[in-house]
Amino acid sequence: MSAIAVSGADFLREHLRARLTLVLLVAIPVLFVVAAAAVLGEFATALGGSVAGDSASALGAGWAAAFLAGALGFFQVSSSREADRRLALAGMGAGRVAVARICASLVLGMLVSTAAFLTLLLSAGVAHPAHAFAAILIFALIYIGIGTLVGSFVSGALEGSLTVAFIFLIDAFSGPGMSDSGGLAQLLPTRKAADLLSDAGAGVGSPVGDWIAVALIALGALLLAAAAFWLSARPRST
Amino acid sequence: MDEREAVLHASAIEKSFHRGVPPRRRRIEVLKGADLEVRRGELVGLVGENGSGKSTLMKIVVGLLERDGGTIEREGKLGYCPQTPLLWEKLTVAEHFELFARAYELDSATAAAATESLLEELQFDRYGGYRIEDLSGGTRQKLNLALALMHEPDLLLLDEPYSGFDWETYLRFWEMSERRRDDGMGILIVSHFLSERERLDRVYELRDGRCVEA
Repeated sequence: MSAIAVSGADFLREHLRARLTLVLLVAIPVLFVVAAAAVLGEFATALGGSVAGDSASALGAGWAAAFLAGALGFFQVSSSREADRRLALAGMGAGRVAVARICASLVLGMLVSTAAFLTLLLSAGVAHPAHAFAAILIFALIYIGIGTLVGSFVSGALEGSLTVAFIFLIDAFSGPGMSDSGGLAQLLPTRKAADLLSDAGAGVGSPVGDWIAVALIALGALLLAAAAFWLSARPRST
Repeated sequence: MDEREAVLHASAIEKSFHRGVPPRRRRIEVLKGADLEVRRGELVGLVGENGSGKSTLMKIVVGLLERDGGTIEREGKLGYCPQTPLLWEKLTVAEHFELFARAYELDSATAAAATESLLEELQFDRYGGYRIEDLSGGTRQKLNLALALMHEPDLLLLDEPYSGFDWETYLRFWEMSERRRDDGMGILIVSHFLSERERLDRVYELRDGRCVEA
């Protein structure tokens, strides 16, 4: 196995061996899809919008994947910053450490998306399963980018996780159906993915152009994450 | 004059930190032109009071911290043992050895031999399958040191590497260092114990931001 494969597998193990991560991997999707979807409609009405039941459940799955991916992305950078830098100095190089971290992040993103999607499928069902899974995965990838970006600027665990949660809340409560959906809400990172997921939940397909747009946003988020990992692991001077 | 090749030459190193917010922002000068040299087969100490900048200088030499001025030249392979063990809590001791073997680009036979030898030499072979979170401070420190040594570097930088060691391990650490010094390794050890000076070939004292050979 290559150095990247070994370190990527180790970085993944580092997260999956934490019991709390495994518990949250089950609990968060259940909370968001089953419990929170029921009140999402009430929040939407209070904010001046409306979200139908199927769309609310689908959006709940997307937000569950986003929340988990954002938190894991943040801790991937913040909890091992110094150790990663030591590994890079030992000869791995910041580039290979960043690639290994991105690989681990992608697997984590797939895991949280699968957990959220299965919860949605089992609890509420979904009219367009393939569309729904793709949109949930895009939520996760976008939040990997957000989590790692926060992790590269904020070192404290409390401050960092609060920052990720703050961005998440603004994003979630400005999503489709939650307000009049105009102005700045259109610029939020998951806005387009939320539109696609809401449509998939309601059994409505979306044009190819929209999928290409969200795929580009997700790619941008991953490039941002790669840059954050690289910046975090790079030697300062020699 | 000593003709042995220098494996580390640091010249006129400067470093300041900024503290506080404007208008009360202030600049703290830690290093004001520090010079340092380590040659092959030399065991060199870097001593100084708490806060004198020893770890700052070490981090700059290693490449973990940016310097404001000066030059650094290093030769050959570098081994670095940080003051605080920099490890991954959920990975095992064996997984750490494997990870660093890949980073050092050791072939599997060399990596296995180095791992076995260091586990035995530092007497923590029974902890191979333990996760870091389950280890005592002293055993973490042994792994921290072993990871810096496993590729037999030309230049070894040790930042108070024995904190947490019991007396026997402490003595073994010095035996290991002296043996490697005799084999041609250049070693720089940060310390604040005056009693260790007799074990060292040369000692730099960091005083007022500059290195003075003591």
